[in-house]
Amino acid sequence: MQPRTRLLIRKSSAHAVLITVCAVILIPFAMVVLASFRKGNFPPSTLWLNPGQWTLDHWKYVMGIPYREVLNATTGETKLVSPAVAPLRWFLNSLLVSSIASFGIILLSGTAAYAFSRLRFWCRSQILTGLLVLQMFPQILTLTAYYRILDYVGQHFPWLGLNTFPGLILIYLSGISINIWMIKGYFDTISPTMEDSARIDGASRFQAFCWILLPMSAPIFAVVFILSFISMISEYPTASVVLQESTNRTLAVGAYSLLDEHEKLWGHFSALAVLSGVPITIMFLLCQRFIIGGLTAGGAKE
Amino acid sequence: MVLKNNPNPGTDMNDGAVRITDLIKTYTDDRGRPTFTAVKKINLEINNGEFMVLVGPSGCGKTTTLRMVAGLEKITSGTISIGDRVVNDLEPKDRGIAMVFQNYALYPHMSIFSNMAFGLQLAKKKKDFIQETVSRTSKALGLDHMLERKPQALSGGQRQRVALGRAIVRNPQVFLFDEPLSNLDAKMRVQMRSEISRLHAQLGNTMIYVTHDQVEAMTMGDRICVMKDGLIMQVADPLTLYRQPENLFVAGFIGSPPMNLLKGKVEKEASGLVFREAAEENGVVIPLKGPIEALASKVLGKTIVFGIRPEHLTEESKNGSTTPVSSTIDIAEPMGSESLVYLRAGTGNLIARIHGEALYHMGQPLTVYVNLDKVTLFDTETEGVIQ
Repeated sequence: MQPRTRLLIRKSSAHAVLITVCAVILIPFAMVVLASFRKGNFPPSTLWLNPGQWTLDHWKYVMGIPYREVLNATTGETKLVSPAVAPLRWFLNSLLVSSIASFGIILLSGTAAYAFSRLRFWCRSQILTGLLVLQMFPQILTLTAYYRILDYVGQHFPWLGLNTFPGLILIYLSGISINIWMIKGYFDTISPTMEDSARIDGASRFQAFCWILLPMSAPIFAVVFILSFISMISEYPTASVVLQESTNRTLAVGAYSLLDEHEKLWGHFSALAVLSGVPITIMFLLCQRFIIGGLTAGGAKE
Repeated sequence: MVLKNNPNPGTDMNDGAVRITDLIKTYTDDRGRPTFTAVKKINLEINNGEFMVLVGPSGCGKTTTLRMVAGLEKITSGTISIGDRVVNDLEPKDRGIAMVFQNYALYPHMSIFSNMAFGLQLAKKKKDFIQETVSRTSKALGLDHMLERKPQALSGGQRQRVALGRAIVRNPQVFLFDEPLSNLDAKMRVQMRSEISRLHAQLGNTMIYVTHDQVEAMTMGDRICVMKDGLIMQVADPLTLYRQPENLFVAGFIGSPPMNLLKGKVEKEASGLVFREAAEENGVVIPLKGPIEALASKVLGKTIVFGIRPEHLTEESKNGSTTPVSSTIDIAEPMGSESLVYLRAGTGNLIARIHGEALYHMGQPLTVYVNLDKVTLFDTETEGVIQ
């Protein structure tokens, strides 16, 4: 065989593999997008839409805009459909909870990571290992405990109890040990002479942390923010236990409620699923400019 | 170049003097248990305006000492005073010091201007003052055209110059340098060396300079403090250190190539006193005559170390008390103006610094003359010099 032919075969087989992998990833996604524009609440079936099947009904439903649904094609009987709670509300709930909790996580894990990276105190390494071990257990194991605790707290501080966003955020804030590890790992790569230098320049420890270490660590904070934001947008178990009223559901809980045992609203569900990707995409684009290499380059030579 | 910032009126002439008394630093682990002692009760006085170099091998405690002067490291015991103030419990910014780090430690997310202005901004100086000070200093350092750039866009030498500028704008009484040239290439190092020396001449501030490079120490320091294992071995000006080392460590550490150190005994032979190298067989034998004889007679029969600098081994006999030693050439390194010749004499090795007019070859026999006036004898037990 000619070397050129061999190269051609190798190239085409490589591309075939790559295209297959892409298809496996993209086809389900395309099916959901199409299902959100298809008439009727059926599970997504084909990768094709006939011109007569197009509709914006599902999107109207999600946005909380009333629309008329044809009940009987022959008699022309229609029904005004208007959701009791617009799924858009769930979307905004999720946005609020995830943003606040992600900021809180950055604040808590950032300061904790600083202590573990820069300060020396009793049992430092044992606590670090302990955090890692704790992280091995899924948070869902403690769900019953969280439920009881929130129930109890709610009796004294109603704004922090069950069925409240602060209560849910509080639980989300407890799962930060892996973030502490990630940020600490990043801090460890930054030469402590940076802060030494800032202290000689007259900065307090806190000032050196805020003005020198934090800006230099922007990439890792962006990563932590994105990861926790995504995980909270799609978090179901905790949110479903804590938030029980239809008005304050989060996206994941609300979306699942569309797939009721008796009536599975696949079309509505698809539209909401596509919508839920929007904040994650926007957040990623916002954070992307921080996730660039070479941010710490040039400050210190190792 | 105008570098000097407006001197504060009424400042004492003694402001920049640094006195270190009984200083000890013991490191501890997370639980506060002592792990090892880096600095073992040292005493050092640095005069106002002096360029003091702390030099020694890594782990000798020189950087720890500097960091304690800076206030970056807690003092275990002892006192440090700058001027007339004991600074043990003062924050770094209140000690009147500025520091230049080995790895530059520039703030990578800030422009050069902001890097230099950071300290002044923290001190809440007026904007005009900051602008004026930074631009004057950067001009003097040749950095004025790159103030808007980030450190990343600068070469190593430029970065270290920015770090220098950042120290200068603080207008400190004492400059602290922690191996500032170690990360630069050889050529840049030589250039920055003279720049720092010139800076010292212009500013007249006290400077404490830590290095492991004895060439830097010799060329820059008014006085040099040689350290080893947390202890001070000798403090003296460069030439005294070179000519009159007080102990074996200083003799071996200062000088490149190092001093020839031969272990052996002084013995009495028919012709007079000789030094015989300790060896199974064929040790070097150096006849001792002249003034050295009196000194050697004190340690007759004792094991001692015989020290002679490479430049005091010459190819031809000179006036004064010289004594021949026959040897063969192992390696010769012609450097142009002179040659470094590694000799094998008996079982031992000697290095001689000989004029560079002839080329030498491996295995060639060569008789060198030891200048006995320049010999230093050391006690093997105390490692101190025999006087």
